[in-house]
Amino acid sequence: MSGNSGRQAGAVSRRKYLLSSAAIGAAGLAGCSGNSGSDGGDGSDGSDGGDGSDGGDGGDSSNTIESESSAPATVTAEGSSTVYPISNKGSSYWNSNSPASDGEYWGSNSEGSVAGWDQIETDQNIADYFASLYGFEATGERSNPPFATRVALSHSGTGCEAVRDGLVDIGNSSGPITAELDISESQRDENYVDHVVGRDGQPVFVSQEIYDAGVDQLTGEQIRGIYQGDIANWSDVGGPDREIYVVGRAEGSGTDTSFRLNMLGDADAPMDVDTRLGQNQQVQQVLQDNDNAIGYMALAFAGSGIQAVAIDFEGTVYRPDADAENTIFDSEYPLNRDLHMYTRIDEETPDGTDMREAAFLNMFLTEFGQKTFVEDVNYITLPTSDIEAERAKLPDQA
Amino acid sequence: MSFITPKTDWRDSIDRRLTRTQEFIDDTDPAALAVVAVAMGSLLAAFVGFLLASPWTAVPLGAFLVATGYGWVRHQALVARAVTFAMTTVTLVTLGLIVVFIFAESIPAFQYESARVFGVSVPGLGMFAQARWDAVSDPVRYSLLPMIHGTVMVTAIATLVAAPLGVSAALFIAEIAPPRVRELVKPGIEVLAGIPSIVYGFIGFTVINPWAGGAFALNGGSTYLFVGIVVGLMALPTVVSVAEDALTSVPDVMKDGSLALGATDWQSMTAITLPAAFSGVSAAVLLGVGRAIGETMAATVMLAGVPRISEPLINVFYGYETLTSLIARGYGSANGVHESALFAAGVVLFVTVLCLSLASQYIEARMRRRLGGAE
Repeated sequence: MSGNSGRQAGAVSRRKYLLSSAAIGAAGLAGCSGNSGSDGGDGSDGSDGGDGSDGGDGGDSSNTIESESSAPATVTAEGSSTVYPISNKGSSYWNSNSPASDGEYWGSNSEGSVAGWDQIETDQNIADYFASLYGFEATGERSNPPFATRVALSHSGTGCEAVRDGLVDIGNSSGPITAELDISESQRDENYVDHVVGRDGQPVFVSQEIYDAGVDQLTGEQIRGIYQGDIANWSDVGGPDREIYVVGRAEGSGTDTSFRLNMLGDADAPMDVDTRLGQNQQVQQVLQDNDNAIGYMALAFAGSGIQAVAIDFEGTVYRPDADAENTIFDSEYPLNRDLHMYTRIDEETPDGTDMREAAFLNMFLTEFGQKTFVEDVNYITLPTSDIEAERAKLPDQA
Repeated sequence: MSFITPKTDWRDSIDRRLTRTQEFIDDTDPAALAVVAVAMGSLLAAFVGFLLASPWTAVPLGAFLVATGYGWVRHQALVARAVTFAMTTVTLVTLGLIVVFIFAESIPAFQYESARVFGVSVPGLGMFAQARWDAVSDPVRYSLLPMIHGTVMVTAIATLVAAPLGVSAALFIAEIAPPRVRELVKPGIEVLAGIPSIVYGFIGFTVINPWAGGAFALNGGSTYLFVGIVVGLMALPTVVSVAEDALTSVPDVMKDGSLALGATDWQSMTAITLPAAFSGVSAAVLLGVGRAIGETMAATVMLAGVPRISEPLINVFYGYETLTSLIARGYGSANGVHESALFAAGVVLFVTVLCLSLASQYIEARMRRRLGGAE
């Protein structure tokens, strides 16, 4: 293993070199990796060197013409495709710098106001407002934020490596960095700050036919049996007499690992599945195409032809219904996982989060941010106490 | 020649070579020689810089470009010789580096899968002596047998589809079709070759797999049968083009002779044209097989992705995993020995394709001997 890690260190320096000398090629590669960006949890080996290209030019701004030379550097982020919708939507809103009179994206007017507006109530544009909380000067112009933000899409592992190597400011990850980079918890605390911006539920879905035939609730024990090959027919769990088509996720990916850990009890628990798919979209498609399938995927991919089932964990029934007593949106639901944005502690930022990063991250930790960037893209918002704890990790506001 | 002992022969050849080099240097313009030397030296330096991942690699590379550009204007003939030689070398060196890299990367997996035979530890034997692949849960094993089985199944079915269809289509285009039909069909087939493999895979995933699941009452719709058919269709244009070229290149005098003796068109085709073009036609089929072995996208999208051997062995109605789809599915999340095992799958693929290529060379050489009448 030690020889192996040495090899990887060598690979990193090669990658840096390639980045600096072949920016055009890297940009092309970044496009490719964006397309192939599969499911969020993938602990990547970081082989796609192009991913870092967005971080390589951190000093440059996406709207160079408008911004002055003294403007703060662009905040760059990259990583997990699971965190990407949150991060990217936030970045789009930020870069738009919509005025408070917009009503749809920011602020309020006669047609309506954005979620959580009553706690903000400002005349400033969106990015101006959040940036000024950390001492940045407002521009007052639409599409010209005090500093730009940019988010690239890859894998959790790649995002963690990019933030470790200083290629980006923020590393998006759907798994803990300790697992992605194989580091200890004390190493994590020394080098990184973990900003949790939302939660991802991993509901268990079944094909519509199975749901209609009466399987609308399973116990944790039954799901374990299905995924470990002990239960092979739907009639054993109260359904029709039909074989079960068990859909798993790419071997060793973040999603696979967290399911083994949370549902089967151990990160390397044995599984016996009929197919393994890499991406949420594929799981959705296969569950729709087959009339006997069971699978798990990110909540954001729920759709027609598939149904989430309620799960009974040791007597508590978590229902896929926001109004139920216990829901799959609760943080107690065992298949939920935190969505992380990591920043790095170094000489310049001993707190781990500089003012630019803090201004951007703070936007997600408001009622407005939680509703717009987390809930609206079908992820689970943080409870108030967690938001307070996350805010405490940011530097003091100006 | 045969009376000279090998040693003096060897020394002689060195001497001769040295003399020839000396003559060449004497005959050539020293300025041109200097330019070529600078260009080649800086190319070599750039290569060394690349291997060392030095940030200064761009400097010798730039020097090479400048020297070549200058030389191209002043001493074109000599520089062109040097540059074409250098480009050939670059191709070979690239191939060599790739081979070395995939072999080196696969070493940890071969070591992990060592097995003892009669007290001797044989690295990599565990990949072929047992059939369990599980990269996560205990016991972690990396057998490549399920994937080799999958690749063999897909390739066999694809060949059964592509070879007869391809050869008969080539025969039709080359020998039977009127010129106007040929002019329409030939570009059509070449367009077929241009369709990206993901398109086939996507159609397979969204149309064929769901249909197959229902039509054959399968648990899920992934089958080697339909992956093989799809891959066979993808290999078809290669087979048709190459076989058609081979059939057209049979000299007309051979066919005319047969026709003059009173044979029918069909008799001439089977007795003269096909045997005469046999080496080209078999090369076409082998190229198609090579395409089928290496096909990744369609297999990855359509197969189940669970390394398992179907029961019985020839059951084509379940499709699990091939060597290529294993790599495509696993590269994003693999690390450590798992990643190395994916490289081992790459090594197996490489060796297979190498053997295939050698086999096609051998067939071609044998056919040439037979038809050329050397023996």
